[in-house]
Amino acid sequence: MLRNYFLVAYRNLTRNKFFSSINIIGLALGLTCSLLIMLWVLDEKSINQFHSNGNRLYTVYEKQYFDNQISGQRNVPGLLARELKKNYPDIEYSTAMTWNEQNTFRYGDKILQMPGTYADSDFFKMFSYPLLHGSAGTALSSPVSVAVSRKMAVALFGTPDAAMGKVLRVDDRKDFTVTAVFEDMPRNSSWQYDYILNWNDKLESSPWVRDWDNHGPAAHVMLRAGADPEHTEKEIRNIITSFTGEQAGFKAEVYLQKFSDQYLYSNFKNGVISGGKIEYVRLFSIVAAFILLIACINFMNLTTARSVKRAREIGIRKVVGAMRYSLIKQFLGEAILVTTIAMIVSILLLSLLLPVFNLLTEKQLLFPWQNLKFWTAIAVFTFCTGLLAGSYPALFLSSFKPILVLKGVLKIKGSANWFRKGLVVFQFALSSLLIIGTVVVSQQVDYIREKNLGYNRNNLVKIEITGELAQKTQLFREQALQIPGVSGITIAENDPLDLGNTTASISWEGKDPNTKPEFTHIGIGYDFVETMQLKMIAGRDFSPLFGTDSASFILNESAVNKIGYTNPVGRPFTYQGRPGKIIGVISDYHFRSMHIPIGPMVLHLKRNPAWGIAVARIEAGKTQAALHQLESLVRRLNPAFTFNYQFADAGFEQSYRTETLMQRLSGAFALLAVVISCLGLLGLAMFAAEQRVREIGIRKILGASLQSLFVILSREFLLLVFIAFVIACPIAWWAMNNWLQDFEYRVQMNAWPFALAGTAAIAIALVTISFQTLRAALANPVKSLKSE
Amino acid sequence: MLSLKHISKWITLGGKPNFLLKDVNLTINQGEFVSIMGPSGSGKSTLLHIIGMLDDFNEGEYLFMDQPVHTLKEKQRSALYKQHIGFVFQAYHLIDELTVYENIETPLIYQNVKSSERKAIVADMLDRFQIVGKKDLFPTQLSGGQQQLVGIARALIAKPQLLLADEPTGNLNSKQGEEIMDLFKQLNNEGVTIIQVTHSEKNAGYGSRIIHLLDGRIEQEQQP
Repeated sequence: MLRNYFLVAYRNLTRNKFFSSINIIGLALGLTCSLLIMLWVLDEKSINQFHSNGNRLYTVYEKQYFDNQISGQRNVPGLLARELKKNYPDIEYSTAMTWNEQNTFRYGDKILQMPGTYADSDFFKMFSYPLLHGSAGTALSSPVSVAVSRKMAVALFGTPDAAMGKVLRVDDRKDFTVTAVFEDMPRNSSWQYDYILNWNDKLESSPWVRDWDNHGPAAHVMLRAGADPEHTEKEIRNIITSFTGEQAGFKAEVYLQKFSDQYLYSNFKNGVISGGKIEYVRLFSIVAAFILLIACINFMNLTTARSVKRAREIGIRKVVGAMRYSLIKQFLGEAILVTTIAMIVSILLLSLLLPVFNLLTEKQLLFPWQNLKFWTAIAVFTFCTGLLAGSYPALFLSSFKPILVLKGVLKIKGSANWFRKGLVVFQFALSSLLIIGTVVVSQQVDYIREKNLGYNRNNLVKIEITGELAQKTQLFREQALQIPGVSGITIAENDPLDLGNTTASISWEGKDPNTKPEFTHIGIGYDFVETMQLKMIAGRDFSPLFGTDSASFILNESAVNKIGYTNPVGRPFTYQGRPGKIIGVISDYHFRSMHIPIGPMVLHLKRNPAWGIAVARIEAGKTQAALHQLESLVRRLNPAFTFNYQFADAGFEQSYRTETLMQRLSGAFALLAVVISCLGLLGLAMFAAEQRVREIGIRKILGASLQSLFVILSREFLLLVFIAFVIACPIAWWAMNNWLQDFEYRVQMNAWPFALAGTAAIAIALVTISFQTLRAALANPVKSLKSE
Repeated sequence: MLSLKHISKWITLGGKPNFLLKDVNLTINQGEFVSIMGPSGSGKSTLLHIIGMLDDFNEGEYLFMDQPVHTLKEKQRSALYKQHIGFVFQAYHLIDELTVYENIETPLIYQNVKSSERKAIVADMLDRFQIVGKKDLFPTQLSGGQQQLVGIARALIAKPQLLLADEPTGNLNSKQGEEIMDLFKQLNNEGVTIIQVTHSEKNAGYGSRIIHLLDGRIEQEQQP
């Protein structure tokens, strides 16, 4: 029986090559897209899941209550991790960690800068990073010990074996001994560190870390086997207050989040963990499911469209003794066969597209050829898709009454037509939705790109100040300005384009003592306003001509509004206990991403910061030469370190990576959805033309013109597409409006995306059906009527 | 073998019943060769389809081999007819995607006959109808007469006691038609009960009994 079904299926496929290929291509495109997204989702979900103690690893986060707000963060006091381990027996290991560090290492004449971090001695006992040399117990045991990755060991010493016991100079400040070499961190680790320095050094070198009032480093803990995390969480809740004592207007509570959840659930809302990357994972999963659904609908539509041709076969089979269930089996089998072929095509496509997809998503997904689980999943997936796609045709086709079919009086029931039309409406509604989404995302991304940021991000380069350079900033500035092409340079304590530091230690005349507003603050050198090309609204920039500037402050517009001074220049202002006066006001500029509103900001003069960023303005067209000379200048002044720089616009692009990714992916998805939907519409047009062949013949004999036939045949489809569009509009408006809410600065929803999507959908539909429609309208009526 | 008692079938058009068959009483015995005749629209095909259980009726009783068909469930009904009834059509109705061999084999597949047995049975049938040489051809490669031969072979493959034929020679030329009718005669002699619908007096003459239908009623019965 199977052989018989298979033969019929095979011969049907090969006899109708055009039909079969659109069916298979449509399905293959849908499958490829779903597989790509599935690989991406699995990859995202696999991040940080490899630690063997994963179910006992937790990250500490804080709920901070201040200024009538609750906020959440993973930055905690530097001593918290150790105190947790000391005081709570359920906590077996703990480590504090800093953020991504970029220390500079010197070994002999090799100087190298790599990403790494500081961690406590429990680090390798908690996290599963295999050690090539050294042991988890001793890897970070002394204040001068450092663990390096295989990559770093090879770069500095040639081989991992040679690394052990070698002494490295770090930041030209202190010598460390390599006590362990760890295997390069796997791709699915959210940390990609090449070295771990001992935490004690951080405590010694950065006194602020020891202060319980500063919340900076991260803390991770590993519970004892069998410990109840909820119980532990309750116990540790008020540990910070126990060290700082009760503080007026401020409280920090401590909570635990599973370490493995941290990557996908990274955001906070009112101090509670709420989403993060998981939202994109969900969104893309839904899109993948929808695209696959569109492809399946397409299959159903094309298959039922051919039902007139298949009906006779069904009638005969029933007459010669086929039961309904055996016909259902036959058609499901055919669907699964087609799906299998489509799956093979899509696996080929997948292996071709994966490099492009990786480029698009900045991932390194690999095709899991050797993964048995993957192949099982593929088989199950194929089977289920086949069942889904084949279900309707199977039920529909097997329900034919044999006598009616064989007599040739088969009239497809109204309900079946409605069902199929519904499918087309659904497909086009989804396509319109995706088109509108793509346009809105593009508008927002363009808006971000073109928005006046308040500074000029073109030809602006940020240079890291490290080592000896920090003592020679004056000399560096003078010499840099001599370089042709460098038109301005200024020094800032922090990256002025990514400022996160805020302070509540400020006051002014008439400040309400009960409020504690937070001001973003930054110490800057001279020429900041000019180099950044900020707009000075009132007053002046800091200047060496005024000796009093160390007690002067520049505010941004938002800060002035917060304070409420009408003529701020010359008015008193106190910053971190330093009373002074306001000398200038700059207009607001975006010192962080556009997800966050520009808040009040205070700039103070810092003549010789011990670290920081130099920002240089380079004349257009002289970038390469100027950069080259800047590099040799920095290397000359600071030979123990590498030259690190970033263009402001590159950094800008970097911070909107997710949005750019969204733009690219939604564009790709929309295109795919449209292509697949068109294949479906083509199927429906074929079907309609087949069904109405007699009507068209009669109309032609009665003298209908080609145009009038074209209108008659197209009208219905255009109506369907229009209905789909009308359905899609409010959903798209709602969804995209929601998405835009994430941006503090955003485009207004307008009619453009809708007009564009509507026109596109109708135009595409018209082109798709015109071929079939014209063919039907041009057919010889004698032929079509003869069969009656 | 079968008996129809007071069978009526109607469709409602504009609120009024429109009778396709009205109070038909008919008994057919094992081994008969019955021809049903009548003008277009007289209900010949409907009657044949009711006998073949492909169509249902609104009123009356139908006993087939002592089983009350009108009370059977769909499943039992198809089980009954697939065991005992073979169909031959005017338009042959072969499956275009299957070869001659596979077309003939299909009913056996649905009766769950084992593959080796099927081979033997189909080979016998091909042999008997002298179409062995055509077994790998597709229906579109055959003449009308040959296609109908395949149609009959397929109808007979499961050894039914009753063969129903709806104008089996309607699409054939006279020589081909004669051959088919000779074959029917021969089958009838071998014990197969045959009911055929036909327009042709000549073909009706092959049977043992002719039933004339007019406007859904049996108008007259005659012996040729």
